[in-house]
Amino acid sequence: MSETILEARNIYKSFSGVPVLQDVRFEVKRGEVHALMGENGAGKSTLIKIITGVYTKDSGSILWEGKEVQINNYNECQKLGMACIYQELSVIPSLTVAQNVFLGREPRKLGIIDHKKMNEMTKELIDQYDFPLDPTTPVANLGIGLRQLVEILKGLSCNSRLLIMDEPTASLSGKEAESLFGIIRSLREKGVSIIYISHRLEEVYALSDRLTILRDGKNAAVLEHDEIEPKKVIQTMIGKVVDESAGSSKEMKSNDNEVVLDVKDICDELGMVKNVSFQAHKGEILGFGGLIGAGRTELVRAIYGIDRMKSGTVTLNGEKLDPSPKRSIKAGFGFVPEDRRGQGFIPLLSTVKNVALTNYDIIPKNGPAISDAAELESGKKAIQQIDIRPSDPQKQVGLMSGGNQQKVVLGKWLMRDLKVLIVDEPTAGIDVGAKAEIYRILEDLAQSGVVVILVSSDLQELIRVSHRILVMRKGSIIKEFKSGVVTQSMVLEAASGIIDDKEEAV
Amino acid sequence: MKQTTIRRLISLGMLIVLVAMFSALSSYYLSAGNLLEIVRDAAVAGIIGVGVTYVIITAGIDLSTGSCMALVGMAMANIYKYTLLPIWLMLIIGILVGLLAGLFNGFVVAKLHLPEFIATLATMGIFRALTYTIAIRDAGGVITSQPMTYSTFARLGGSIGGIHIVSIVFIIFVIVGQIVLKKTRFGTNLYAVGANPKAAELSGINIARTRIMAYMVVGFCAAVGAIFTTARLQSTTALLGSGFEFNPIAAAVVGGVSLSGGYGDIIGTFIGALFMAALDNGVLKLHMNTAYQYVIKGAIIILVVMFDAWYNKRMEKLAQERSAKEAVNE
Repeated sequence: MSETILEARNIYKSFSGVPVLQDVRFEVKRGEVHALMGENGAGKSTLIKIITGVYTKDSGSILWEGKEVQINNYNECQKLGMACIYQELSVIPSLTVAQNVFLGREPRKLGIIDHKKMNEMTKELIDQYDFPLDPTTPVANLGIGLRQLVEILKGLSCNSRLLIMDEPTASLSGKEAESLFGIIRSLREKGVSIIYISHRLEEVYALSDRLTILRDGKNAAVLEHDEIEPKKVIQTMIGKVVDESAGSSKEMKSNDNEVVLDVKDICDELGMVKNVSFQAHKGEILGFGGLIGAGRTELVRAIYGIDRMKSGTVTLNGEKLDPSPKRSIKAGFGFVPEDRRGQGFIPLLSTVKNVALTNYDIIPKNGPAISDAAELESGKKAIQQIDIRPSDPQKQVGLMSGGNQQKVVLGKWLMRDLKVLIVDEPTAGIDVGAKAEIYRILEDLAQSGVVVILVSSDLQELIRVSHRILVMRKGSIIKEFKSGVVTQSMVLEAASGIIDDKEEAV
Repeated sequence: MKQTTIRRLISLGMLIVLVAMFSALSSYYLSAGNLLEIVRDAAVAGIIGVGVTYVIITAGIDLSTGSCMALVGMAMANIYKYTLLPIWLMLIIGILVGLLAGLFNGFVVAKLHLPEFIATLATMGIFRALTYTIAIRDAGGVITSQPMTYSTFARLGGSIGGIHIVSIVFIIFVIVGQIVLKKTRFGTNLYAVGANPKAAELSGINIARTRIMAYMVVGFCAAVGAIFTTARLQSTTALLGSGFEFNPIAAAVVGGVSLSGGYGDIIGTFIGALFMAALDNGVLKLHMNTAYQYVIKGAIIILVVMFDAWYNKRMEKLAQERSAKEAVNE
């Protein structure tokens, strides 16, 4: 059982000078489930892409069954006996299970596909691994869980001895995930190795024989199953140095300020948000922590009115709202979306135009026409307020750095009479200097009485900026922390469901 | 019941209701003669529809089929007028011209990565312009209709035992087209490329080649369509097939071929082509204003596409619910 099937040695990789992987080692034994964990940006997916031949490594070597191999593309990786089960499913709905499994490799007689043989071959595979599938069912008739099994079957049909699963439970329901775990365990018994990438600690604990943790592109630890201990894993993922310094205690001047925003029992239409209620006070920065997919983005989108709520109410200063972006803006909401480039601004337009677009209702006009002068004036004011450099108001926003772009997106809201500003991952991909300035802007806004709703996956940021942190998990708020006493591990533990969520931990 | 089966029953139902409606209004409508006429009128759009269905399954579109027909027709007319080549060679050259036009479409779409709509809109203009440059003109430089009166050629436009040859060819195209789609790798690849190009690539399918071949099938079908149209008219003009590109696409859409790719088959397009011809025939036979034909056809396409969008959304929702149930049952 201890035979090594895949080994990556001393892998180095950098993108345009920035090192992403440094001296990374990774080893998978035959018939083991080996989990791979790390925070976003720790280098997990880069490592997998190097193993599967999507990226080329700068240096280091990859050994497959003891022999050094050069993998240049995914097909070569498949030929060796590895298969990747992709996060976004890659099955063809209009084809049957068998057609999907043998896509591109159909058995033929005189150029005509031998459907009978293909179905028999698929049936054999299905029986071998005991999957609940029928070769002739069109995949369109299957749910997501079973579609994933089709994909796994496709991987296995190429005689794969190693399956790579990247967040396989991301879009599965609890029950579906459980049946997937059963399959993974039975594959392990049949000698198939599995690399299991997941953010969900309880899954990793329940499934894996070993766990490799990456941090900042380096090996942080390799743990045997018995050593996998939630607190230890989280410590290792975050790194010990910065961790336990709890956020500088941010006392709100008056902790019992009046309630500005009152959200009650919100459910969204997709079922990502389940009966969420909270209140936010005047001048408060309210942070939302949680894992990706916990429903934070869906919650703030529903409050702002981009997505429709299934039930629940949003009350602003005692007035009930019927959220839609237009009405929300009028009521005093601002929204900085998660996808800055895609939804935050118009790259081809200048700062002035971008700022003006949101504010044409309050910029003075020349009769029915836009007043260029007033528009420019408001643009300049925004630039001053948010300190965009270089300060050319006519510069195309698409040509600016990420930090300045985000400042423009924030700047759009600053000239309005804001009551609530929602910011979703406001500093993703932004350099340190610009981050600090964005924090300053948010803090200034709070000072002036605006409620800031901050959704962030950056724990340090969440703790540093928020007065109060609500942690979401699987669509519900499960924990509330006050600033000053909370540490990164506490938030992450709550988000992964280790504390206060005992009945869910497997 | 399978989603595709339900969609098939709907297009069949539409055809039956339409025929029943017209039969009630005109006793002549359901006569054998008229029904054969409907099949004949459906044939050219249906033949070209075979290729267009392939392209639409790959999530593409081809707007150039009408112009392609004109180009093929005019190429053959030149051979008729200026050479002494035998008729079979003229037909082969016509088909080669169609294949070349398809190859060009496929190249622009798959290799130059232009959006299908724009690429074939451009080639629609290019093929028509080429037709004008090789058009046969009289002494005054005016383009004339070029008669083509080989006796064998004329026979192609006729019938055997009361059944039009073009109808027989239509049926053959539908059968072969369906077999190729369902029973060969090329056919399976069309679905894969249309539904999920990324997955197709990872399965080792050559996407560019698949798409180019699909466009070449359209070119071939358009050439065959041009041959039968000119054989029936015993002449060709530079305006041959103008506006005709609408018909094969409409047939495919009515027949349940999804414009977003990945779904549909030739039998569906066959039913769609019959539906369109039955509609035209009915309007004509009832002496209704023919201008209404286009209003009705347009309205039907809007309704069908709206229905498909609604239906697909609903099916997706059902699949999600089913997946929740699957998990519970296990």
